[in-house]
Amino acid sequence: MINPTHDSADVTRELFQDFSAVGIVLFYILGFIALGIFAWGCYLQIRKYRQGVADGSWADLLRRFRDLCLTMLTHRTLRRRDAAAGRAHAAIFFGFVLLFIGTSLIFIDYDILGPLGLSFWHGEFYLLFQLTLDLAGLALIIGLVYMMVRRGWIKPPKLDYRRPDREPGEPDADRSAYRIEDWAFLWALIIIGVTGFLLNGSRKLWLIEDPLVWDYRWWTPVGTSIAYALSGLGLSSEGAGVLRTATWWFHGVLALAFVAAIPFTKVKHIFTAGGSLMLRDPLAAQRLPKLPEEGEDAGYGRITDFSRKHLLHLDACTKCGRCHEACPANASGLPLSPRDLVLTLREFAHDNLEGKPKHADELIVHGDGVHQIRAETLWACRTCMACVEICPVAIEHVPIIVQMRRWLVEQGEMDPMLQGTLQKIQKRGNSFGEAKRKRGKWADELDFPVKDARKEPVDFLWFVGDYASFDPRNQSVTRDFARILHHAEVDFGILYDAEQNAGNDVRRVGEEGLYEMLAEGNVATLEDVEFERLVTTDPHSLNTIRNEYPQFGGQYLIYHYTSLLKQLIEEGRLHFQRTLNYRVTYHDPCHLGRFNRGFDAPRYVMQALGLDLVEMDRSGENSFCCGAGGGRIWMADPPGKEKPSENRMHEAARIEGLEVFVVACPKDLTMFEDALKTSGYEGQFVVRELNELVAEALALDGQATEAA
Amino acid sequence: MKILVPVKQAALVEDDFELRDDGRDVDPDFVDLQLNEWDDYSLEAALQLKEANDGIEVVAVTVGDDDTEDALRTCLAKGADRAIRIWDDVIADADPLVIARVLAAVAQREAPDLVLAGTQSSDLGFSATGVAMAAFMGWPHAAVVVALDYAPGAATAIVERELEGGLRERLEVDCPAVLTIQLGINTPRYASLRGIKQARSIPIEELSPDELGLEDQDIGEQARGSRVREMYLPDKGQAEMIEGTPAEQAARIAAIVKEVMGG
Ligand code: SF4
Ligand code: SF4
Repeated sequence: MINPTHDSADVTRELFQDFSAVGIVLFYILGFIALGIFAWGCYLQIRKYRQGVADGSWADLLRRFRDLCLTMLTHRTLRRRDAAAGRAHAAIFFGFVLLFIGTSLIFIDYDILGPLGLSFWHGEFYLLFQLTLDLAGLALIIGLVYMMVRRGWIKPPKLDYRRPDREPGEPDADRSAYRIEDWAFLWALIIIGVTGFLLNGSRKLWLIEDPLVWDYRWWTPVGTSIAYALSGLGLSSEGAGVLRTATWWFHGVLALAFVAAIPFTKVKHIFTAGGSLMLRDPLAAQRLPKLPEEGEDAGYGRITDFSRKHLLHLDACTKCGRCHEACPANASGLPLSPRDLVLTLREFAHDNLEGKPKHADELIVHGDGVHQIRAETLWACRTCMACVEICPVAIEHVPIIVQMRRWLVEQGEMDPMLQGTLQKIQKRGNSFGEAKRKRGKWADELDFPVKDARKEPVDFLWFVGDYASFDPRNQSVTRDFARILHHAEVDFGILYDAEQNAGNDVRRVGEEGLYEMLAEGNVATLEDVEFERLVTTDPHSLNTIRNEYPQFGGQYLIYHYTSLLKQLIEEGRLHFQRTLNYRVTYHDPCHLGRFNRGFDAPRYVMQALGLDLVEMDRSGENSFCCGAGGGRIWMADPPGKEKPSENRMHEAARIEGLEVFVVACPKDLTMFEDALKTSGYEGQFVVRELNELVAEALALDGQATEAA
Repeated sequence: MKILVPVKQAALVEDDFELRDDGRDVDPDFVDLQLNEWDDYSLEAALQLKEANDGIEVVAVTVGDDDTEDALRTCLAKGADRAIRIWDDVIADADPLVIARVLAAVAQREAPDLVLAGTQSSDLGFSATGVAMAAFMGWPHAAVVVALDYAPGAATAIVERELEGGLRERLEVDCPAVLTIQLGINTPRYASLRGIKQARSIPIEELSPDELGLEDQDIGEQARGSRVREMYLPDKGQAEMIEGTPAEQAARIAAIVKEVMGG
């Protein structure tokens, strides 16, 4: 590597070569000013976050840090559903990180170790260092150019910043400032990168006579190519010297300005996104926070009610639009986009928490004012978790929305239809307003008795849930599942009148007091019952019992019925009479799939039945909500807009020869049978619950046999 | 100023129910209780006035046993300032006149500027209590009110009443007055369970008719204007769903007409 006639210590770059003392001092002064502004900005931001409520997000720091490093190194969250942007970001990210480390090393060598006589930045290390940084700069520029092409020419709709929650012309509808910022960011970085190379090239040409520089020129291939280009353009060595000085100052000052701007611009996502990822809660949407026992107000009413972590989230959003694109409420034209919710709150926090302290009344985030959140926006959410699941920086939209709904509920502000349902649940423990004693009525039509688990011990306690118990269409599915269990000789029972709504959706509506009553009631009931494990056909009940009942002292092993069926098949306890060879597609229920990772069991069962499963584009983690979650099943969708369930029907209808749209959730059956009619596919294919197909394959009732 | 809101804990009867052994009411086993729907609206009207003006006190009052306390808790959770419950076993099975007499005595004691009652109750539906109360007090009243314009301290209130056929009547009522409020005048707020729980720490004033200066003869059996003799389900009417093509349906209708008319 090193020419033997050269002393390795001389193979380095002389910093501030030929600079006057004034120049050097001036540069240091500028450097300190930039760092001062940076520190001031960081202070403002941290002071803002500290006005939130402290929470326990910092537990288990080491594991979190490891996770963060893994996420950043693999870019696993950024590559999803936008691989090209992920790659470009990786190029920018790694380029930037290497250049940053490089600059820091030079600083350490020159200003700290050098004066101690411990300099290491020379010789072979120096040459490899040069090469690395040269390539890092190239990666950075390539990544930035792709991002410019993406914004300027490809223009994916998710980046157009159109707000569904404001009409054009409203004072805060315009998001063009963001667009300007995006471009300024790209240009600033790319200019820093390009001038870096120009600096390198002009310096090479200037020092062409110095073998310690010129002999090693190919260790910076890009910089040296530029030197050749400059010389080819007729630039002399002296001219290059002048160019080098000019570029040096331009590059240096711009880089310092960039550093100073970090805390005030989108560049801060370098820190906020990292922090957010580090505080990531893998059960953010599945297990909502309990409210403190005492306290006047519930949920998020003022911006200072937000947890510190959620305030940080507001600043972590990079406006990538992945959540915007995945959101079923946004897709149906409702006034909600998870991205815009986060950005609006960000602006609100910026306006009210960074300057002089404001009066408590000015801190209310709800309302029609500028950067306030409208109630209609919050009520549009289906808590389907599509946003939380795809957000590359681990923002928790669902708990934020539910906390804000809690406040609305405390104020008594909600849809009258929803009020009616909650009152029914308050009075009778079910959303149908049916008498408690009718809960087990569906079992009357079976030709075998269903055990009353309150009276005798059972292996499987079946938590039936409201829809499966009371909705006539679902009751027939419920009976099918009972027949399947009976056929497989599973020892099971139900709670009859003692079961209450599990509360999953009540909690997601934001009626936490009622949820507590339901959860505590069910936990108390289960205390007195002898059983080994729980099973349910309802993914909503599954979720809250599995993930949230532990907050109320109820730890249970609970299965979704698809997992139990899978187990029964594996154990050879289901004796299928016929193979069904329908062409089907399968809708992953949010609460089974995204929430509880129950992707495989239903597919295993379908395969065992012999079904020809064709997946929709949006399946598995990316399944598209039927629109019923978050209490929306108890509210009417606005007429004249395409409902999420209808949107889904159109997607399914694109599958050639589709015969059955399979669901594994009572609410899905209701939603999609409805949507099948309203979207005009009746007669083309049918919606069926997986239990019905299993019962059919087992020839468990006359109807099923006929249909086959 | 003060607004008095008389409320009722009304019965919500299950679809399939049985009658009490004496046949004069529904077996309580088949009944849930909840705040009368109309009272949600009258309370909301009072609360909205309170929120729009300074210095208004909203007092909810009910006549009923322990079980009716829930209705008052709901009112307190929504924002009523005080709640009063009057009870004595003599009042059990009382008719609207007796209830109105008790409420009138409360009003005499509280001296409100306005009484906002529900037009009717969702279980018995007499539509009598509020109006009778006004009569006992000699106050003006307006029933089935669907719009209310009132400034605290004003000598009159402008109200709109709903008449048959979609017609409305706008009138000026001298205050203090009793207004009975119709559904739809506003959008009542929701009382969250947390709010109801927190309202448990607010004491409810419990009074006996005695303390209001009412004698047994004012409120006992003899004071009632009516007595329930029997509750029963009428025989089912005849109904038949006619299926088939329009022609078949027409033929079937013709046959039924002939059969019934004997022609
Ligand atoms: S949870 Fe679903 S509906 Fe709600 S904001 Fe997120 S993606 Fe949209
Ligand atoms: S919230 Fe997350 S997914 Fe949505 S735009 Fe911001 S960074 Fe992207």
